[in-house]
Amino acid sequence: MAASTKPLILAILSNGEIYGYQIIQSVIEISGGTLEWSEGMLYPVLHRLEKENFIQSQWKMSETGRRRKYYRLTELGKKELDKERKQWLSVHKVLSRVWDPLPEFD
Amino acid sequence: MFDLEKAIKDWRNALNKNEALEDGYKEELECHLRDKIDYLIGLDSSEEKAFEEAAKKIGEADCLGAEYFKTDTRGASGHPPWKKSRWLPPLFSNYFKIGLRKIKRQTLYSLINIAGLAVGLACCAVIILYVTNELSYDAFHKDADRIYRVAAHRISQVGEFYFVATPAPLGPELVRNYPQVEQAVRVVPPYENASHVLVVRGEKRFFETRIWFADEDICQLFHVPFIQGNPQTALTNPYTVVITEGMAAKYFGEEAPLGKTLQIEIDYDTGSVEIRDFEVTGIIKNAPANTHLKYDMFLSMETMRSNLSSFEEDWINPKPKYTYVKLAPDTNVADFEEQIQQAAKKYAQMFSERINRKVDLYELFLQPVTKIHMYSHLMREIEPSGNWYYITIYSIIAFLILLIGCLNYINLSTALSTTRTKEVGLRKVVGAHRRQLIWQFLGESFLITIVAFIVALGLTSLLLFPFNQMAGTELSLTGLTQPIVLLSLFGLLILVSIGSGVYPALILTAFNPVSVIQCKLAPTSRGALVQKFLVVGQFAVSIFLVICTLTVFKQLNFMKGRALGFNLEQKLILRVKSNLNHLRRDYEAIKKDFLQNPSITGATVSSSAPGDRTNSGYYMTPRIEDFRGAPFIKVITMDYDFIPEYGIKMVGGRSFQQGVGNDENEAYVINLAAVKELGFSSHEEALGKYFMASYHRINKRIIGVTDDFHYRGMQEIVEPLVMDIENSLFSTITLSLRVENMNDLMRFIRTTWDEHFPGVPFEYSFLDENFDREYRYEEQMGRMLGIITTLGFIIACLGLFGLAAFVARNRTKEIGIRKVLGASTANIVAALSKKFILLVLISIIIASPLAWYSMNTWLQDFAYRINMSLFVFFLAAVGALAIALATVCIQGIRAAMANPANSLRNE
Repeated sequence: MAASTKPLILAILSNGEIYGYQIIQSVIEISGGTLEWSEGMLYPVLHRLEKENFIQSQWKMSETGRRRKYYRLTELGKKELDKERKQWLSVHKVLSRVWDPLPEFD
Repeated sequence: MFDLEKAIKDWRNALNKNEALEDGYKEELECHLRDKIDYLIGLDSSEEKAFEEAAKKIGEADCLGAEYFKTDTRGASGHPPWKKSRWLPPLFSNYFKIGLRKIKRQTLYSLINIAGLAVGLACCAVIILYVTNELSYDAFHKDADRIYRVAAHRISQVGEFYFVATPAPLGPELVRNYPQVEQAVRVVPPYENASHVLVVRGEKRFFETRIWFADEDICQLFHVPFIQGNPQTALTNPYTVVITEGMAAKYFGEEAPLGKTLQIEIDYDTGSVEIRDFEVTGIIKNAPANTHLKYDMFLSMETMRSNLSSFEEDWINPKPKYTYVKLAPDTNVADFEEQIQQAAKKYAQMFSERINRKVDLYELFLQPVTKIHMYSHLMREIEPSGNWYYITIYSIIAFLILLIGCLNYINLSTALSTTRTKEVGLRKVVGAHRRQLIWQFLGESFLITIVAFIVALGLTSLLLFPFNQMAGTELSLTGLTQPIVLLSLFGLLILVSIGSGVYPALILTAFNPVSVIQCKLAPTSRGALVQKFLVVGQFAVSIFLVICTLTVFKQLNFMKGRALGFNLEQKLILRVKSNLNHLRRDYEAIKKDFLQNPSITGATVSSSAPGDRTNSGYYMTPRIEDFRGAPFIKVITMDYDFIPEYGIKMVGGRSFQQGVGNDENEAYVINLAAVKELGFSSHEEALGKYFMASYHRINKRIIGVTDDFHYRGMQEIVEPLVMDIENSLFSTITLSLRVENMNDLMRFIRTTWDEHFPGVPFEYSFLDENFDREYRYEEQMGRMLGIITTLGFIIACLGLFGLAAFVARNRTKEIGIRKVLGASTANIVAALSKKFILLVLISIIIASPLAWYSMNTWLQDFAYRINMSLFVFFLAAVGALAIALATVCIQGIRAAMANPANSLRNE
């Protein structure tokens, strides 16, 4: 899975506690439809993030009677999110320079 | 009609195909599916379409499973990618917990394993202590590699000899003339009474045997630490003595000995003996167990010189003196040996001058002091040498026991493996690599070995005391602190845990986990073969040991028993170990006094008792005063009662009788071996011939010939013996007893003794016990073998017990069915036992020829030996079968008693 998945998920979770399907929906919303993930593949990633202690999960019962697994960010996850943000921003800066060359003077 | 729920269920089942998808994952995915379906339905899709779309979006089970699997798997290093490796191997705490839990749950098997290993380890620990002790003799002296003993090699008319005794002047000569010699020290036992030096302090009077005359420097040459007194001056003056702590406690108790006196009686062979005061000038530490020169007291050499003016010039006095030298560093020993032959020449010269006999060869050679105990087997050694033979034997035996214990462990672990398969399968599923599992099992065997080790330490301390009794050693637990011992033990620990653990580890981890979790794995045919092999191995070793033990005991009994040729039961030996003139008595009167007691049925006086290692003998010549070429024949001097009291059989002539002829002055009796030695072809020819003995120079004639009797025990060929009535050599009183009340009798004997020998210590022994001591090595071996064999057998049976229990448990269904079909308990037991009995039979077949060969080789060492009897083999075989049967039956009966309904019900 793409390296961008991690910061995206962590960022989404920084807004609060949600479950897997909602995450997929958020991604589609935020990206305006440009990012479409193979939905099932989200879950192993969540699983791994949980093992690394960046997120925490909890099974909850909804009013409709369905059990859902909710995820939220841990302290460690918050720190990791910060780190990822810094990294990605610096990468973005460099790439921007490459892709937008200096204006040429005629 | 599209059934949404059914479709979802089918979709869920399809997920089951991938093993990596756990229940939790599947539930979450299903939840997602439903959410998606709801959403799509909300967008006016049909249920069917919604379902298809949602399922497609989620993805294939295999891909998902693979992704999950990746996150759960560890890398090749065995660590999860997000965990740093710690210094402890991963899952160490888990393995430890599981290991402990395994021990607790399967207590019986674990105990069996631990017991088996502990016994083997304890035996090895004792043997390691013994071997390091034997091989470390005299290594503790400072510069031990430069200390040598001088020994001699002589060829003359009498024969060729290698012996340790050297002339007294040699030591000083070496120091004077050879710069390579830093120090030379002589150690001299008292000439005439080395084995019974009377030492007196007030009320305390004892005979001591480890008293030596020594040059002043002895405590510098040998590492003898002084506790009190000045090492430089302690042995300078005459009539001074240095004693050990043990002696100090014995004679002085709480008193401080330094400066006080001990009365010591030394016979210098000058014709008069006196008991003199010696001043205690030093206290030294007790002699350690691992030195060839064990001492209790050192007397100053100056004393010797004061009493024997010729001491320092006499090159040819045959009494033993031991010379030790310390060479300068970097001395070439071979060169030095060549050079000292000059000194040797002096001896040869004086010898031929004074004794009028030519010495064909006399050369000196050096023995490194550290090699004396194990390698020196010359004449006149200070103490019996160590014996490689016994070291090897003990080591082999210890190894065998350990082997049985390890085989036990392997066998049981392998058998128990079928109960561990689920655990192993599960571990494999969650990602354990084979290597990790192997480490886990090795770790478990290490844990068990350590526990066994701790138990073994306790066992060792129990074993040491009887071992010391048997081997005559002084091993103690403190020996365990020596670095080389610790190293060996640690090495043993590693070896045993790896050796025991590696096989179960390998076979346990080598199968497909899934198939194992889903169905029960029966032992593969290969595994079962190895199990059988192990059982056969254990029993073969045990049977081998049993046969050897029985044979050794038979040989011992034979040697000790009736075949000796004289009566040795109920004979009390009293020693008159003093030559002090006023103690020479009228022996007939003494005998009469003893005979007053009805429990004493006979008394006789002689120069030695049967079993004594006498070197006394006569040169016997038929010609008057011409002893050239005369054979040297051992002698026992005796009174008229000796031959009848000991029940010695005559084959010709008569034994000594009072009043018949003048036997005291005119008669010899000889044994059959002497007949040949004296040059006669038959005993009839020998009767009536005259011989003169070198000792008293009286011509006497042979009046009788006795049958050969083994007065030196069965290990040695009966040597020629001449028997003579000669008062001057008497020192042993033999009393034949018929005891009713031992205490009263001993009191009587003691009183009578004190009347006749006032002040002489009362020392007695029983002849049969003395003879038992003759066979000490063989007895040791016999007893050791006995203990080891019992132990080995116990372990083998425990192993068999565990194995049988286990097999019975595995076959509960079969047994249940048999019972239901009407088999009786006996039938069931028989069915179970058949396999094991066959194994034991194979063990017998393997063990018997090996045992036969080993025992045959061992028996060759004995001059008189038993024939190997088939009965012994038969007994061992039957015994092994019986025990194996009993062991298996117990399990069989227990299994057979079980309610078949229970065993058939669950699976």
